[in-house]
Amino acid sequence: MLDAGRHPNIKVLTYSEVAAVEGKAGDFRVTVKRKPRYVDVDKCTGCGICWEKCPKKVSSEFDHGTGLRKAIYIPFAQAVPKRPVIDRENCIYFEKGKCQVCKKFCLSDAILFEQKEDMETVNVGSIIVATGFEEYNPKILSCFGYSIYEDVVTGLEFERLLNASGPTGGHIRRPSDKKLPKTLAFIQCVGSRSNDNKGVPYCSYFCCMNAVKNSIMAKVHEPEIEKIYIFYHDLRAFGKGYEDLYLKAKADPSVVFYHGKPSKIIEDPITKDLWIAVENMDNGQVERIRVDLAILSSAAVPSAGTKELSQILGIELDQSGFFKVKEVNSPLESTKEGIYLCGCAGGLKDITDSVAFGSASALKVSSHLKGQKIKREPLKVEQIDTSGEPRIGVFVCHCGINIAGVVDVSAVEEYAKGLPDVVFVMKDLFVCSDGTQRLLQDKIKEHKLNRVVVAACTPRTHEPIFQETCQRAGLNPYLFEMANIRDQCSWVHASEPEEATSKAKDLTRMAVTKARRLQPLESREVEMNSKILVIGGGISGISAALDLSSQGYKVTLVEKEKSLGGRLASLGNLSFSTMSGKELLKKKLDELSLNKVKILTSTEVKKVDGFVGNFEVTLETKDDKKKSSKQKAGTIILAIGSDLFNPEGKYGYGKFPEVITNLEVEKLLQEKEFKIKDKKPEQAVFIQCVGSREKEGRKYCSRYCCQVAIKQAITLAENGIKVTVLYRDLRSFNPGAEEAYRKARGLGVLFLRYDEDNPPEVLGEDKLKMVKLSQPLLKTEVEIPADIVILSVGMVPREKDFVHLQELLKVPRGLDGFFMERHSKLGPVETNTEGIFICGCAQSPKLIPESIGQALGAAGKAAILASRDKIRLAPIVCQVVEPSLCRACGTCVKICEFHAPSLEEKDGIYIARINEALCKGCGTCAALCPTSAITAFHFTDEQIEEMVESCLLFE
Amino acid sequence: MTKKGALVIGGGVAGIQAALDLANADFQVYLVERSPTIGGRMAQLDKTFPTMDCAI
Repeated sequence: MLDAGRHPNIKVLTYSEVAAVEGKAGDFRVTVKRKPRYVDVDKCTGCGICWEKCPKKVSSEFDHGTGLRKAIYIPFAQAVPKRPVIDRENCIYFEKGKCQVCKKFCLSDAILFEQKEDMETVNVGSIIVATGFEEYNPKILSCFGYSIYEDVVTGLEFERLLNASGPTGGHIRRPSDKKLPKTLAFIQCVGSRSNDNKGVPYCSYFCCMNAVKNSIMAKVHEPEIEKIYIFYHDLRAFGKGYEDLYLKAKADPSVVFYHGKPSKIIEDPITKDLWIAVENMDNGQVERIRVDLAILSSAAVPSAGTKELSQILGIELDQSGFFKVKEVNSPLESTKEGIYLCGCAGGLKDITDSVAFGSASALKVSSHLKGQKIKREPLKVEQIDTSGEPRIGVFVCHCGINIAGVVDVSAVEEYAKGLPDVVFVMKDLFVCSDGTQRLLQDKIKEHKLNRVVVAACTPRTHEPIFQETCQRAGLNPYLFEMANIRDQCSWVHASEPEEATSKAKDLTRMAVTKARRLQPLESREVEMNSKILVIGGGISGISAALDLSSQGYKVTLVEKEKSLGGRLASLGNLSFSTMSGKELLKKKLDELSLNKVKILTSTEVKKVDGFVGNFEVTLETKDDKKKSSKQKAGTIILAIGSDLFNPEGKYGYGKFPEVITNLEVEKLLQEKEFKIKDKKPEQAVFIQCVGSREKEGRKYCSRYCCQVAIKQAITLAENGIKVTVLYRDLRSFNPGAEEAYRKARGLGVLFLRYDEDNPPEVLGEDKLKMVKLSQPLLKTEVEIPADIVILSVGMVPREKDFVHLQELLKVPRGLDGFFMERHSKLGPVETNTEGIFICGCAQSPKLIPESIGQALGAAGKAAILASRDKIRLAPIVCQVVEPSLCRACGTCVKICEFHAPSLEEKDGIYIARINEALCKGCGTCAALCPTSAITAFHFTDEQIEEMVESCLLFE
Repeated sequence: MTKKGALVIGGGVAGIQAALDLANADFQVYLVERSPTIGGRMAQLDKTFPTMDCAI
């Protein structure tokens, strides 16, 4: 957010709307209406005196009415830009012609009551629509009492009650009496999956996980909460890491996952207790449950104004009112050339996919901007002289309940003032906010700070932000140090505030100690090879290669098998598409043949040398005979897909020929006549979650199988076959899936739920006979006759290839065995190895449109690098700084997993040398070097030893 | 001649990511947001699943 706000190439037009669009792809003229803020944003410093003094209080939209704001306001503390706006409707001056309190107090004369609406025209080559979603208003469902009973809130309203910047400072208080609620209820599918016109027919994708997350967070915020109910229908935890989080929430005995949808909420008018009437779907009992606060997990609906915007842009909407994608397997394209969709605007997504699709749409847009790159002069700032004595500034972050809920930040602030070389200390609600970042720059200059310490959250997400701020003030970014007083302190010591405060002081003292010894470091520049290597020729790899090549990048696509296509080649009709798998593949291959992608089939990667910008990859092609070749590339995209679980020995697979997998049935369905053992089956049974959501081992959900089972069940039912689907939670979440589920039921497909502790049994003697299933609701076992059983098998990592490429590319794998992205929100298509990107099912199980979107995201990221001549590498590396001490023992060469050190001969003497470009700065060699010839920059022995000494210092 | 840029409508997490990637690829970007601040829905969230990172 902050990055976008201060990027020199981004003009942020807030409080603005698109009024008109003319022209076509490559040349659009867009009129933007700029609403008057009544504040001169250039003069305003965001000091806050105006909204402090404004006498008019209004309910805050940002807090969803759970809190108040003023008539002149900023929506939240970290707003970008941190400039207020006057809400004309509620301003006393605009109402009555008198007041102007804000103008009187404003120190910079920035209030402009006479400001008028303004029109601005911009000329652009392409447009991205990222208008998101909004929350469905559950008022219409009067049975839940929303807006009648004060203590019935929506999911987003509850989110504000949890938030440190929210109206209660992160303390959960129920609206009616401001008391801590001891029992909470989350009610799922409010407005979603609805079969009347009061709600929406589709699944809202993220509410299940949001409730799971908030059940955990509620207990973190308020350990005194005694019970949390989650009333659900199907618990849809289908994304990477989701099932783990669900299991974590489930493991807490005070969190009850209740299978049933409440029919009514009634308030006791005296106690304000809420009574929930619900039928327990597991045993058929109708119960009444008392809670203090009810949270309605409301549906996500298109943002207000979506229809008007579609008319202005001339693009179509889908049946749910979101922007329509041209074809389900071109998930970024709107119905008009040059206009792309990302985030929830083109169908609901989680944050991870929204970010990946953001990168993907950027790649699409750049195809309309040939020759439109702008040259930017590097930022010129006067560099601060750092040669003198250290002058350290310490900034302590409050972060609402996150830190200050446990740690006494004022005490830490006072304490820091007494530390050696510290010349300036301040604390702030959010040190990361736009305004405080500007203040930080000012303070560096004002107090001539040459070292900066921030005591706040994690350097993993926030260090780059602070480092850039230092750089803007002319301070080398490596003269910055962070103390993590949240993850390593307030979060883990929530019940011991005094000790936590004392530890926060220790952590701050250690950071200051290190800061005193910090030295400026300069980043290194290396040449960038513009070639891109894509490993894996399935739908992800093909999509990435195709889009990159069509934009003029030199791409090599490597596939292990004899032909491209992966699993796609075996698929019949694709869900919600007019195309079959074969047709989609053919279309992509035809496009590929028009582009200059170098395709190497029957080829494996044998060795990878080098580093970002300069990889050298050894390939082995096995056509008739083995052939080895070398390929240079600046970036690599890893798209090797996944395998399907082999169900050998499970549910009679291997014993009865009539028990087959979902991929095998997919192939049979493409035959002229659907037959199993030369006979058309009459009764088919699907078993879901085979090899997925296991108690041990593969715990994750494979995401694709429910939707595929529905698709296949519809085809079978339309063929006159009686179909039963045995499932655990039906996880059909994507656009159109809920409608397909309804269609299947309409065709007579029977969906029966099974419990993981009582899985179905496939029975028969020499021949398949039936599937036996216990049904707790009926308190009996049912026997379903079957002459075909289809096992919906999960996706699993392709073990041999994964191990091999993990070793070669140094890309780590998660507990589920799939490759790990750098960060699930901030870097979903990047890996920990710079220059190597990841997409498709190699990262985690996915549907085809999701794989395509992610592949384009990875391609977009690779393209940004590939379009540069040179790139900068971080200077935190290890170096042999004392060659005279090196005894050429070779320890560093042996230990380094990145092959950075080598022994080199000069004048008959061997000395270790470290290739800086390969070095990741992990410091292993420096730690093991017996003579301390090697130093890890930014983590020198001196810095670390002094930190340790300082840690052991008792007050 | 001024260069043609790209227009991003909506300053939530998806729009911001698209704008940043385009800007980092040296294109001029106009990021249009209807409310007084960028950040969108994600800015309203407390933590994000499944990693529980801060949403801001």
